[in-house]
Amino acid sequence: MGDAVLTQFFSGFSLVAILIIAALGLAVIFGVAGVINMAHGEFIMVGAYVASVVQSGLGGNTFWSIPICFVAVGLLGLVVERTVIRGLYDRPLETLLATWGVSLILIVVIKMIFGTELHYVGSPEMLQGGFPAPGNLPFPWYRLFLILLSILLLIATFVLFFRTKFGLAVRAVRRNRSMSEAMGINTARVDMLIFAYGSGLAGVAGAVLAPIKTVSPTMGFPYAVDSFMVLVLGGVGNLMGVPVGAAIIGEGETILAFLFNSVIGKLLVFLLIVLVIRIVPRGIFGYQERTLGHRR
Amino acid sequence: MTTASAELGRARFTLRREPMFPLWSIFGVAAVVAILATYPLYGTEYVMNLLGMFVCFSIFALSISLIWGFAGILSLGQAIYFGMGAYFIALSLKLSYAAENPTRYGGTIPDYMEWNGLTEVPAIMAPLMHIEVAIVCLLFFPTLLAFIFGVITFKRHIYGVYCAVITLAEALILQEFIIEYQAYTGGFNGITDYETYNNMYFLWVILAVAVLLFGTSRLLTHSRIGTVLKSVRDNDVRAEFNGYEVANYRIFVFCFASMMAAIAGGLYAAWMGIVSHLDTGPILSIEGVIWAAVGGRATVIGPFIGTFLVKGAEFFLSQQLAWAWQLVMGLLFIFVVKFMPEGIMGTIGKSIAMGRQRRAYAESQDAYQSGPMAVVARLRAAFTDGNRGFMDNLLGRSGRRD
Repeated sequence: MGDAVLTQFFSGFSLVAILIIAALGLAVIFGVAGVINMAHGEFIMVGAYVASVVQSGLGGNTFWSIPICFVAVGLLGLVVERTVIRGLYDRPLETLLATWGVSLILIVVIKMIFGTELHYVGSPEMLQGGFPAPGNLPFPWYRLFLILLSILLLIATFVLFFRTKFGLAVRAVRRNRSMSEAMGINTARVDMLIFAYGSGLAGVAGAVLAPIKTVSPTMGFPYAVDSFMVLVLGGVGNLMGVPVGAAIIGEGETILAFLFNSVIGKLLVFLLIVLVIRIVPRGIFGYQERTLGHRR
Repeated sequence: MTTASAELGRARFTLRREPMFPLWSIFGVAAVVAILATYPLYGTEYVMNLLGMFVCFSIFALSISLIWGFAGILSLGQAIYFGMGAYFIALSLKLSYAAENPTRYGGTIPDYMEWNGLTEVPAIMAPLMHIEVAIVCLLFFPTLLAFIFGVITFKRHIYGVYCAVITLAEALILQEFIIEYQAYTGGFNGITDYETYNNMYFLWVILAVAVLLFGTSRLLTHSRIGTVLKSVRDNDVRAEFNGYEVANYRIFVFCFASMMAAIAGGLYAAWMGIVSHLDTGPILSIEGVIWAAVGGRATVIGPFIGTFLVKGAEFFLSQQLAWAWQLVMGLLFIFVVKFMPEGIMGTIGKSIAMGRQRRAYAESQDAYQSGPMAVVARLRAAFTDGNRGFMDNLLGRSGRRD
C-alpha cells in the first residue's frame, strides 16, 4: 500500500509539471495585466495542433515544436490582445467573457481547418522508454523531461522578471499601474508583451502535451480550469504560487484518485482549495493590495 | 400655492422614483403572456416545445442577472442549481414512472439503475418518488448549497474573478460527478423516458411561475434591498463604510437566485422529458450569462428578451449551419462585452433616462430664465461664473465677443 502510494507520488510529478507549464502563462497574464484569459485552454489546444503540424508537415519532433509553438501562439496572443482585450483592462470580469468568445471562435476555426477527428503526435525517440524508479512501474523519460522543462520555464520566467529591465517594468506595473505610468513606463506595451509571453507559454504547454494526450478541438478547457484553480490556490502575488499550487493540486489529485477515484479526488482537492482560500482569500502567495478601492 | 422656487426644488433635488410596476409594463407583460399561453391553440407543437423551453431558460437567465447585474457577483456555475432542480424532478418522475411501468426485465426501478446492477432504489432516493418531496428538496437543497457557498466566500470578501473561477470549477466537478455515478444519475445519457408534462396546461404553469418570479424580482430590485444591492455592486467598500453588512446582502440574493434557477430547472425537466449532465455544466452556465448580458443584465425584463433572441437565433441558425452558430456566439460575446455592456434593454433604458434628464434640465433652465428665481440665479452667477463677464451674467448675455 505504502509502496503503491509512493509510486503514485512519483507519477503525480508529471501532472504537477503539466500544471506548472499550463498555469505559468495564465499566472503571468493574470498577475500583471489583471486579465482573466478564458481562452488559455484553447491557446494550449492551438499549440498542440501547431505541434502536430510541425510533426506531420515539417517532420520535426517536440524539441522543434516547442520554440515554434511559443512563437506561433505568442503571436496569436498578441493579435487577440490588440483586437479584443485592449480597452477592457479596467473591467476584469468583462475580459473573462470576451476571451470566452475568443475561445469559442478558436474552437470553430480549428474544427474547420483540421476537422473533428483526433490527431496523434509522437514523442521524440530519445525520450521513449523509462528508467527504474521507486515502486513497481518504470519512470518514463518523457515525464522527467516534462519536470525539467517546467523547472526551466520557471527559472526563465524568474530571470525575465527579476534580471531584466523589462521585468523591472513588469513588476512595477503589477504593483502600481498608475504610478509606473507616471514614471514613464509604457504600461500598454508591457500589457501587450506580457500577454504575448503568457500565450507563448500556453503554446509550449500545448507542444509538450500533444504527445501524451489526444489532440482534439475541445481538449483545452479542463486545463484552463485546472490552471485557474492553481492560481486561486497559489495566489498571483508571487511567482512561487504557481509551483506550490500546482504541487498541492497535482499530487492531491493523483494520490486521492488512486485511493478513491478520480472524481472524488477532484472533489476533495476542490474542497481543500475552498478551505484554504477561506483562510487566505488571495491564495497562499497572494498579497493584500494596499488600496481600498474596488476589489477585484 | 406653490412658489416657483419650491417647484424648482422639487424638479432638481427630488429623486424621480420609478413606479414599481408601470401601467404599460403590466399591459405589455399581459399581452406577451396571452400570446404565449394561447399559442398551442393555433401553433405547431414543435414551436410550443421551444417556447416552454425558452421560458424556463429565461427564468434561469433572470437568476443570473439578479446576482450579476444587480449584485455584481459573476457566477459561472449557476447551472449547478438549475441542474439540481432538474435532477430532483426528473428523478421523482422517473421513479414513479418505473414503479408503474415495469422494465423489460420486470423490475420496478428506473431502467438505468437496472443496467448498472442495482436491484432496488437506494434508500436515500426512495422518498423522492413522491413529487411533493421532490419539490421540497428542489426548494431547499439548492438554496442550502448556495447559502453554504455564500457564507464561505462572500464573508471573506471573495468575489469578482475568484468567485467566477471557483463556481466554474464547481460546475465542472458536479458534471463529472454525475457522469461517474451513473447508477444513480443516469450518467452520460442522463434521465429520460418518464412521464413528461408537455401540454398547454403545463405551459400555463410555466408562464405563471415566470410571471410570479418576474414580479418578485422587480419588487426585490426596486425596493430598498435592491438599492443597497446596486450600491454594493458599484462600490462595495463604500457600501461597507456606510454601515451595510455587504456579505449578508450578497448571500441573500445569491440564495434567492439559486432557488429561482432550481425552479427553472424543475420546470425544464418536467417539460422536456430529458435531463443530462449538460444541464449542470459550465457551458449552460456561461450561455446563461450571455443571455443575460445580451438582454441587459441590470434589468429584469432583459434576460427574457436576451434568451428568446439568442436561443431563438440558435435554433434558427443551427438548422442551417451547425458550426456557424458557435462562431456567431463567439463574436456575439465579444461584441456585447466591448460595445454594448449594458445589453439591449439596458441601452434603451439608459437612453430613456438620459432623455428624461435632458428634458428636466431644459425645464429647470426655463425656470431660471423667467421666474422670480432668475434674478437670484443671475446675481449668483455674476459673482461665481468666471467664464462670462459680470455684466454678461447679470443681463443674461452669451458673453462671447467676436
